[in-house]
Amino acid sequence: MFRAISPENSICLDRGDVLSNKKVLCVRGLKKWFPVRKKFLASILGREQEYVRAVDGIDFDVYAGEILCLVGESGCGKTTTARTILRLIEPTEGSIRYHGEDITALDREKLRKIRTKMQIIFQNPFEVLDPRMTVRSLVGEPLEVNNLTSNDRELEERVLEALREVRLTPPKDFARRFTHELSGGQLQRVAIARSLILRPDFMVADEPVSMLDASIRTEIINLMTELQRLHRLTYLYITHDIAQARYIGNRIIVMYLGKIVEKGPIEDVIREPLHPYTKALISNVPVPDPTAKRKRILLEGETPTPINLPKGCRFHPRCNEASGKCRRKEPKLREVKMNHWVACHKV
Amino acid sequence: MKVLKVENLSTHYQLGSETVYAVDNVSFSINAAETFGLAGESGCGKTTVAKSIMRILPDNGLIAGGKILLDGQEIVGLSEKEAKKFRWRKASMVFQYAMSAFNPVLRVGDQIAEVLKEKEGCTKNVAYKKVKKLFEEVGLEPSRIRDYPHEFSGGMRQRAIIAQALACNPKLIIADEPVTALDVIIQGKILDLLKKLKEKHDLAVLLITHDLSVIAEESDRVGIMYAGSLMEVGDAVSVFKESLHPYTAKLIGAFPSVIGKKTRLEFIPGVPPDLISPPKGCKFHERCPFAKPICKVKRPEQREFDKGHFVSCHFAGEFNLLR
Repeated sequence: MFRAISPENSICLDRGDVLSNKKVLCVRGLKKWFPVRKKFLASILGREQEYVRAVDGIDFDVYAGEILCLVGESGCGKTTTARTILRLIEPTEGSIRYHGEDITALDREKLRKIRTKMQIIFQNPFEVLDPRMTVRSLVGEPLEVNNLTSNDRELEERVLEALREVRLTPPKDFARRFTHELSGGQLQRVAIARSLILRPDFMVADEPVSMLDASIRTEIINLMTELQRLHRLTYLYITHDIAQARYIGNRIIVMYLGKIVEKGPIEDVIREPLHPYTKALISNVPVPDPTAKRKRILLEGETPTPINLPKGCRFHPRCNEASGKCRRKEPKLREVKMNHWVACHKV
Repeated sequence: MKVLKVENLSTHYQLGSETVYAVDNVSFSINAAETFGLAGESGCGKTTVAKSIMRILPDNGLIAGGKILLDGQEIVGLSEKEAKKFRWRKASMVFQYAMSAFNPVLRVGDQIAEVLKEKEGCTKNVAYKKVKKLFEEVGLEPSRIRDYPHEFSGGMRQRAIIAQALACNPKLIIADEPVTALDVIIQGKILDLLKKLKEKHDLAVLLITHDLSVIAEESDRVGIMYAGSLMEVGDAVSVFKESLHPYTAKLIGAFPSVIGKKTRLEFIPGVPPDLISPPKGCKFHERCPFAKPICKVKRPEQREFDKGHFVSCHFAGEFNLLR
């Protein structure tokens, strides 16, 4: 079974307009609550433990071969979601199935094996890559620690191949270098090569280009989509930049305070956002066209920290359309159009 | 009325025995009640232009040539003592990192009052009254002047910095990446605030950012910088819609948008040149798809191609740069 995707949706992909129905990842009821350190007085008075509810019960699937974008403002839980999925931090509740297998229950050894297939690219390559290692050892390291090569020659060949794939050519020259001899864009390519060398099928990219200049940004994004096509990868792409999400993604999930407020095919959500928060968010994204007459939807206040969440819909204190029901009852995510889901009583 | 006029400004940094030609022969002007957007990639010299105008270059920085006329006054030759007089009162600056712009152990209100006491000679009472007014003007609760910076959110801190910049009624505000660290919704609010203040006080605003989308929406006129030089200057619509310089067109083409048709984005191969030894000829020639032999040897002069639309390219108008 295949779901059709309009050609426009896959302009960056050009790969036959179909997405498979096969789920790479299936997340249900995922929660991550971080305990807040109790103040002295609260602890002697025996007050209840408070939590930062970074991710507060979310469900979503990632289909094979798609680029699913996770967007939202800082503090909405997108990075926590990404890290919890890979069990870089342990979930509080919920299940994460990778090709049908629940990875929340796996022991260390099994997790290590499965992680070779699920990789992550972080925002800041300067922090990820050890400045004392050469590019050769940085890129070869994942193979070595996982005992995936039999001899040095194979290792060398695979490192050079990975470098060639991310266009660090001539690869032999780059393999010798240290991180301080590379630019930000080149470093991010090294980070990508390091993930790719394990031949993963699922990649989480957490703001992979936010540190880079526009032109290099586009270069890396285009490279990532080409690699995705070449290796039939699936991405969970996390970004705060909705224009970037639109460019790279097939589907989008919008988060607010630890919950999914809207998800659907990316063009549908951007052209016709249904949730008041998504509407405001998109109306505030600047566009590189001085003749575009757009009106920003203003929202009251700023996103609060997810400790004492408002009752009912957690967006209602800032919502222009909120009514009594929104204050009492938390809306459920429901499908209102084909594949387009929204969590709002008013839609 | 011209508030700021920069003519052939060149600013260099001394790095040991080497010289970095950070800003090279830059000319532009800003009128009252006008926002001039200065855009370019990191390291292109945008911030050095700002620091030259404010005369806050680091010790190894030197204005090597050119003129800067601020409200009719030449400020390049001024002594540090004289420069102190115009800072804040004629020109003030809004920095990118709202986090670090305030001293964390002093109250926000005190830090703004400090400026008023120092620059305007206000008494304590008058200064605090003014601070309360400024808070109101930028949309902050006046009762919060006794808060510390950590009690403010990112957006509020940015507002407080704008309040501080406004304190002595300057004619020019330089906003260096004022919204880069903020989320889009707050970003929108801060940009709206700047626009409102610009209109109300007839401010000249120099908006510096790498984000062309912000430039497009907020600027009346735009300058595109590359490797220390201005490649193109003109009103926003002309620069974006009738780009004359290949670099401008390529850079705009690298920005995705949430409106309009989805197109494949282009990038500019290569990296900007090393400014210690900038290339001969046009600085962009190594990355320019249209470069011809003359571009390698002769540096193009800035010329007025259309009325008010300046470009530094030998072949401006001869290529089809439309996307």
